[in-house]
Amino acid sequence: MIRVVSKRLLGSIGAVFGASILAFVIMRLLPGNPARLIVGPLAPKSTVEAVKSQLGLNKPVFDQYWIYISHFARGNWGYSYTEGQTVKHLIVEQLPATIELALFSFVLMMLFTVGLALLVTYRHRPIADRAVRAIAYIGFGSPQFFVALVLLIVFSSALNILPGPEGRLSPQTVAPPTVTHLYTIDALLAGQLGTFWDAIKHLILPSIALGLTSFSFLVRLLRANLLEISREPFITVARGKGLSRWTAFRRHALPNSFLPTLTSSGLALGEFLAGSVLVEQVFNWPGVGSLVLDAILKQDFAVVQTFILLAAVMFVVINLVVDILYAVIDPRIRVGGAATA
Amino acid sequence: MRSLADITRARRRAGSEGTTPQAPTPAAPGAEGGAIDQPDAQAALSVRNLSTEFRTPTGVVHAVRNVSFDLRPTERLGVVGESGSGKSALALSILGLIDPPGQVAGGEIVLGGRDIARLSDRQMCAVRGKEIALVLQDPMSALDPVKTIGSQIIEAIAVHEPDMRRSAARRRAAELLREVDISQAERRLDDYPHQYSGGMRQRVAIAIAIANNPRVLIADEPTTALDVTTQAQVLTLLDRLVEEYRAAVILITHNLGIVSEFCDSVAVMYAGRFVETSGCDHIFLRPTHPYSEALLKCVPNPERLAEGPLPAITGFPPDLSRLPSGCSFAPRCPIGRERERCHEETPEPHSVDGPAGAAVVECHFAEERVGGALA
Repeated sequence: MIRVVSKRLLGSIGAVFGASILAFVIMRLLPGNPARLIVGPLAPKSTVEAVKSQLGLNKPVFDQYWIYISHFARGNWGYSYTEGQTVKHLIVEQLPATIELALFSFVLMMLFTVGLALLVTYRHRPIADRAVRAIAYIGFGSPQFFVALVLLIVFSSALNILPGPEGRLSPQTVAPPTVTHLYTIDALLAGQLGTFWDAIKHLILPSIALGLTSFSFLVRLLRANLLEISREPFITVARGKGLSRWTAFRRHALPNSFLPTLTSSGLALGEFLAGSVLVEQVFNWPGVGSLVLDAILKQDFAVVQTFILLAAVMFVVINLVVDILYAVIDPRIRVGGAATA
Repeated sequence: MRSLADITRARRRAGSEGTTPQAPTPAAPGAEGGAIDQPDAQAALSVRNLSTEFRTPTGVVHAVRNVSFDLRPTERLGVVGESGSGKSALALSILGLIDPPGQVAGGEIVLGGRDIARLSDRQMCAVRGKEIALVLQDPMSALDPVKTIGSQIIEAIAVHEPDMRRSAARRRAAELLREVDISQAERRLDDYPHQYSGGMRQRVAIAIAIANNPRVLIADEPTTALDVTTQAQVLTLLDRLVEEYRAAVILITHNLGIVSEFCDSVAVMYAGRFVETSGCDHIFLRPTHPYSEALLKCVPNPERLAEGPLPAITGFPPDLSRLPSGCSFAPRCPIGRERERCHEETPEPHSVDGPAGAAVVECHFAEERVGGALA
């Protein structure tokens, strides 16, 4: 187990290193002079040079990389000239909203994926099975912004049971005292159940919009794998022991069918974290997606560069967790050794 | 270690002294023309007119058709037949494990005085693994690869004894592993299936099956996937344990050699039916049904080397969703091929007395064959 983890950890560090070089090189290759952008077209050349040396842009390229990476590691992520604030401040302010949405969407997606896939496979249920496949079929083909708009029209405008695009909380609700920056958890910690419920209600629609495509893919994947595993003799043996069909499926079919779903769900979570721009726009979600979109349009390199590397770190961490979970689920990865008599 | 043949012989001797009923037990002939009717109260398992079918888009597949037999306590019944003759479907039907689109379409399965064919799936959970246990064909896939051997044995115990402490269940699991001759049982409980060899896995499967001391053990080709030496070990083990636990066995196989060594009686299955049920001695000495005879001729025998290559049964088994009228074997049968009666009239099971005891046969010409009038 330790061997597996340490091996994966080394690989992860390599991946982050690679991503940092990529981010660094791409930002250097892009046309335009960041110093000129910062000071504006009318500033004299001396000011541009001053800003350039302040940014370290006239140093040798290896030094520049070293400065970039060591500053990043220390949380010194630079200054956003468009927002007039440090990048760190912006990210700390906006990233938790994205993380909360991504995690909520992920948990919802996994619950529905596992629940529905088990429901339609452990017993012969032709109608439910067809319904789930239809939802997955439609969900897989619907673009996020479209789903988001339809959800808003149906559940907010027409039925009026869930809030519209008003961000993370209703206007009259006060944010809970900050501990984790995640409103649901902070509200629970503070014992403010009303705030908690308000935060949940605001999370539901954007979570569905964000997770529907991945859910559609995952539920089909898991359903197919479950059906395949359900034909394995060890399921018959498990039921032959006297286990109910449900228990046999939950204990034996699910762990054996889950690995492909686990891999894909890791990728999905990464996508939720790094690519929720459209959904954030539609729901007025104060997340990091809109911040980065803005920064790209305004060539605010410090923000973009930081976000690329942060996204890489998040992806790598997720993959590391997935790899470790792999080994937890499947002993053939964790425990080496051939058969011994 | 004693060879399997020795053990079997010893057991047979013990049987002939009257400690275990050894007489072939084709279901007791009833009043009307030798047809089988009432379930036998003495039997460990009594199956009457069991039919299983699978509804597929291309038609209804009749996998098991009107099968009846009695299994006395500690009796060993071999079920033989070609692939696709319905042997495994029979095993799963008895256990209530036929999944849709398949279903048990009719018949009774009487176990300990009650008809388990009528039990709900939930009620069957208390029967499976407790009163009837199952050993499957392929040891490589009969164990869950992501769970330890120990947890899989403990699971089999715990599901029927929910109040048992885990430590006690674990001790029992280790004891079971020792029973099936796995050394360092205590330590090897924590191993995973991929750390066991094929023969060991099959022994674990047997340990799981006997965990709750079942009355009936159904072994579906328990040795098919193993090499010959391992086969012998597993059979010897099965022989010993079945003796020790006093379980009746239904051994499903296509290996007639195993049947002759291990079983007391044989049922020959063809196209979903038991075409001949008789004592082992009988069938190997004088098979009554033409299909049984053809099957026996396919077994290599040094004494028949001079006759040239092994014969094959011509033709193929019938499509179970488009069964021919009359006797299912007629199109391939040396006797029935030419006879109108075999193609038109389905033979009913009836009892026939032969030189080595009684047999229940589904053939219009069984008497003539036994009498020697038809070869």
